[in-house]
Amino acid sequence: MRIQGTKKTLAAGALAAMLAVAPAYGQEITIAIGSEPTTLDPQVRDDGGERAVNDNIYETLMARTANGELVPSLAEGPPTQVGGTTWEFKLRDGVKFHNGESFNADAVVFSVERIINPEFNSEQGSFFSTITGAAKVDDLTVRIETDGPDPILPTRMYWMKMVPPGQAADPGFADAPVGTGPYKFAGWNRGNDIVLEVNEGYWGDAPQVQKVTYRFIEESGTRLAGLLAGELDVITNLLPEFVGQVPQSANISGLELPIVILSSLGGSTADVRVRQALNYAVDKDALAESLFEGFAEVAEGQLLAPSFFGFNSDVQAYPYDPDKARALLDEAGAAGTEVELVGTSGRWLKDRELVEAVGAFWSDIGLNVNVRIFEFDEYLNRLFDRDTRADAIFVVSSNELLDADRPFSAYYHKGGIGASNEDDALAGLIDQARSETDVAKRSALYQQAVQIAYDQAYFLWLLNIEDIYGMSERMAWQPRVDAKLLVKEMRVDG
Amino acid sequence: MGRFMLKRLWHGLIVILGVTVIVFVVTRMVGDPVRVMLPLEATAEQRVAFEKRLGFDRSIPVQFAAYVGDLVRLDFGDSLWQRRPAMEIVFERLPLTLQLTAAGIILAIVLAIPLGIVAALRPGGLADRLTVTVSLLGLSVPQFWLGLLLIVVFAVQFRVLPTSGAASAKHIILPAVTLALPALARLVMLVRSSMIDELNQQYVKTASAKGMPFIRVVGMHALRNAAVPVVTLAGWELIRALAGYTVVVETVFAWPGLGLTAIQAIERQDLILLQAIVFTVAIMVVFINIAMDISYKMIDPRIRLA
Repeated sequence: MRIQGTKKTLAAGALAAMLAVAPAYGQEITIAIGSEPTTLDPQVRDDGGERAVNDNIYETLMARTANGELVPSLAEGPPTQVGGTTWEFKLRDGVKFHNGESFNADAVVFSVERIINPEFNSEQGSFFSTITGAAKVDDLTVRIETDGPDPILPTRMYWMKMVPPGQAADPGFADAPVGTGPYKFAGWNRGNDIVLEVNEGYWGDAPQVQKVTYRFIEESGTRLAGLLAGELDVITNLLPEFVGQVPQSANISGLELPIVILSSLGGSTADVRVRQALNYAVDKDALAESLFEGFAEVAEGQLLAPSFFGFNSDVQAYPYDPDKARALLDEAGAAGTEVELVGTSGRWLKDRELVEAVGAFWSDIGLNVNVRIFEFDEYLNRLFDRDTRADAIFVVSSNELLDADRPFSAYYHKGGIGASNEDDALAGLIDQARSETDVAKRSALYQQAVQIAYDQAYFLWLLNIEDIYGMSERMAWQPRVDAKLLVKEMRVDG
Repeated sequence: MGRFMLKRLWHGLIVILGVTVIVFVVTRMVGDPVRVMLPLEATAEQRVAFEKRLGFDRSIPVQFAAYVGDLVRLDFGDSLWQRRPAMEIVFERLPLTLQLTAAGIILAIVLAIPLGIVAALRPGGLADRLTVTVSLLGLSVPQFWLGLLLIVVFAVQFRVLPTSGAASAKHIILPAVTLALPALARLVMLVRSSMIDELNQQYVKTASAKGMPFIRVVGMHALRNAAVPVVTLAGWELIRALAGYTVVVETVFAWPGLGLTAIQAIERQDLILLQAIVFTVAIMVVFINIAMDISYKMIDPRIRLA
């Protein structure tokens, strides 16, 4: 009995082997992502796995070029302001959802009202907190209302995916997405894969890749093995140390910026000279080289990458100058004082290593550094503790909208959840920028804010970590600054 | 037998209840799922609204009462992370873990018995020394590393097996072997030592002396007497695999079972899903223990179940 059973298993295995070596078509690719989406409703979660898939099924009024420039997508052109709190979008004509529904003003109004409805409780709510509603003007014109002047509304609409009003009411909508994008949903085998096929009726340029399969592989070593074994064409979050092993890799300045928040509220870091010394003490180039194998750029003294809105190109990183750091400490009478440095482990790429390296640089200039690595939950207690601020808290800011508003509100503004300063001037600039609809004026406000924070050394700005992708030999693709995996931009050779 | 079963089930129930209470207390004590689920930059108002939706704004005793009520109806509520019933996720993932565990443990047992017997026949001989050495290796190798090694050799170098996933029958081979190896190593050592003990007993010499074929002496008499500790260890290995090793093996091989789901639930502080998983595993452990007790009786009728 048992022997027979074994034979059957072997036969099944042999059959599976034959199926697996069947010739693959050139225009079918497989992409590995770190985690399986929990839903394919594009408006519910704030989840990277879901975005990786839905960015190809759904579209937004505004999009970005690979370099990060905001351009119209489902909108026909850039929106115009009608009065202080209203933005008007003209819509692209003739666009249809995959199920045949027309994309029009009704669809936009429905999508906006759906995601901002408090009952809907979207995790993306924080991206759209200023929006109060939307109204149809005519079939291809729609107005979006905000609670005050909102200069980044066009940017927000880059994040809001448009859903079909008819289909979205269907209870199965979360499992069978229907968008306007270049790819349409073909199947979801839970736990194993999601398959998309090209949308023949796509309004834009026809993509080359005909079919894409997403696999969910959490363990980075396993993703690498899948690429090396020829099972995968694109893998995300390739570790810097693996770059030499893969057939092809591509890297681009990413959305993540690790910083250390320095407290000006008390303790040894209350003196600006000490905070400046902490900046001069750290060799950021060495961190980029040794921890990230060069796949990181030194952050230019601000919580922004050059492609983000509000970047101040006049501000440059504090140079590595340990002598100057020691001199500043002596001047402040702070040589040998204790500095508490709080971090966590395993949440962000090389988080523990970064914190320990920073601690070592600080010890080198004669400080008594107390490095404390907490489990993530306890770490959050420290980060969010408004009463007693640790001298220095490591955090990684991720900037999906490529705009200064969110990170500055959270870390620069004295009322932010992770701020350790009580700088009224700085907070005033950020408040002003939030409702300044003139692009040039708004940019100038952020540049002033960047300068103040830099002079006051409210942070130790470390790096801008690059995203690294591993690719099979046959792939041709240039990654994007917004980290989106747009299959329509990928090509397969041979 | 009936009384015995009732008693064991009663004990099992207490164990399961104890486990669920501990899970409730520990998960409520160690963390706040709301903070982990929302982006770091979310505002205080957004956090409060989110907390309210999840019911975490209620007091702990109220939450516990609701929890016990749900438990009685076997309804753990919706997973915080996946926003669908936690038990639905468990039932979706459990079969994959059972397949993998069954394949691994059966492989370990089927190989351990002949290898252990062969080693025991000539203690100190070549086969014995080889078996002991390989077993020690199997015990010392971290499973995580072993899994990646097998992937590199069989999937990347020779390309005979897939690296990861659960799409076809041959996807199970590498994870099952990885899961089996430490269990196999321990079982071989136990079969070997038990058989050496039994083969030195007087009844083995008597049976051989009266002309019984050696293979029957080993297979019928000695093996049967050596079986009780082996069954105990096999059951223990099964429990360890279900409640522990699958977590590592499923993560390495992206095998979408309950172990991988447990890790993901922990990373996302999904208390509800974690409770459902722990509860399910606890029930399985209780039933495996009962099955082991019954099998003792079948192997050795002299054993009294009480």
